Amino acid sequence: MCWECLFYNGENVSMIGISEISCYIPEKKESNYDLLEKFDTDEYFIKEKIGVEFRSRKESTEKASDLCIYAFEALKKIHDLDIEKIGCCVVVTQNPDYNIPHVSAIVHGKLELPEHCASFDISLGCSGYVYALSIVKAFMEANNIEKGLLFTSDPYSEILDSEDKNTAMIFGDAATVTLLETDANLQAIAFDFGSKGSGYKGLINEKKLYMNGRAVFNFTASKVPISIENLLTKVSLEKKDIKKWYFHQGSKYIVDTIKKRLELNTEDVIFDMYQYGNTISSSIPILLSQDLNDFKSGDKIVLSGFGVGLSWASAILEKN
Amino acid sequence: MNAVTASDILKAIEKANAVNDVNALEVDKLLSDQGVDSLDFSGVLFNLEEAFNIEIPDEDIDGLATINDLVQYVNNKK
Repeated sequence: MCWECLFYNGENVSMIGISEISCYIPEKKESNYDLLEKFDTDEYFIKEKIGVEFRSRKESTEKASDLCIYAFEALKKIHDLDIEKIGCCVVVTQNPDYNIPHVSAIVHGKLELPEHCASFDISLGCSGYVYALSIVKAFMEANNIEKGLLFTSDPYSEILDSEDKNTAMIFGDAATVTLLETDANLQAIAFDFGSKGSGYKGLINEKKLYMNGRAVFNFTASKVPISIENLLTKVSLEKKDIKKWYFHQGSKYIVDTIKKRLELNTEDVIFDMYQYGNTISSSIPILLSQDLNDFKSGDKIVLSGFGVGLSWASAILEKN
Repeated sequence: MNAVTASDILKAIEKANAVNDVNALEVDKLLSDQGVDSLDFSGVLFNLEEAFNIEIPDEDIDGLATINDLVQYVNNKK
């Protein structure tokens, strides 16, 4: 099968892939070591269980759109980008600047993107990046859009309860931008999605964020390995065919649990959230951005996001 | 069906990587005092639910502090 192009409505349509990812992680950090006494815990728990030593924090005056702009500025430093050619601007967030309008409109305005550029938000949490890759790829291919920007920006610091151990030590602020283009050589070749809406109260923001850690753990440990197995079956691949695994960085404990249940090699499973925390939909693109230039032709990787909803999404990407 | 024993509970604890040596655990002592933290305990309960095809509601957890508690609870649920 030709992954580079497909036949759509009688026309050859170039397939959309990832060409670049840039990130913004605030320099301001809060230390979990300052919370040892408050939450009656220890250094081992911080390093080996939750895997978060420091949580990145935006300034209180900054909004989701500001973080997107900072991520875009980072992109411009490494990629010569003509914004007149940007055909869509999409933001994954559940903590928008305002309820109305959508954050992508604000980002569109701040970046002075062209008026032919479509803008919309996607309301998803930790599964959002993988869902968005599929949505934006399909949208661009269906509408012959050659360049698009996919942002993730979900500043949980705005909704956290600082007295709640389950959440106060976990989440960090960050944003990413993924440049999607025709003929980019990192292509998604399969997706798997799922929802367990009956568990929506497991992670919910009424007045403050509430997380039933056990419910989220149970859902993740039971559903994500199945999603991965489904994904591999769809394209007749085996686990040994996958070079690296990029799971949502919910906590070290949950990534270790998935790794164990799938019997994956530790060195193939990326884990790195010690210095900034769980950044929701930004966690996967942050990790991916660090390895993007290291993949070789034929390498296949797996992404899997899971959380709010409860919701999960997994994808296999291949470097051409 | 055979009754659940402390050995079955230890297997669930081992599978959850909760402690270095499950054989050193005492059956009547609080698991939280033997190095099993809240995350580990979620993993232990998940393994028990899976192994014995039972559901352990959150409201039951307060009464499950020792291996003996878990043995009795799982036997009653089966």
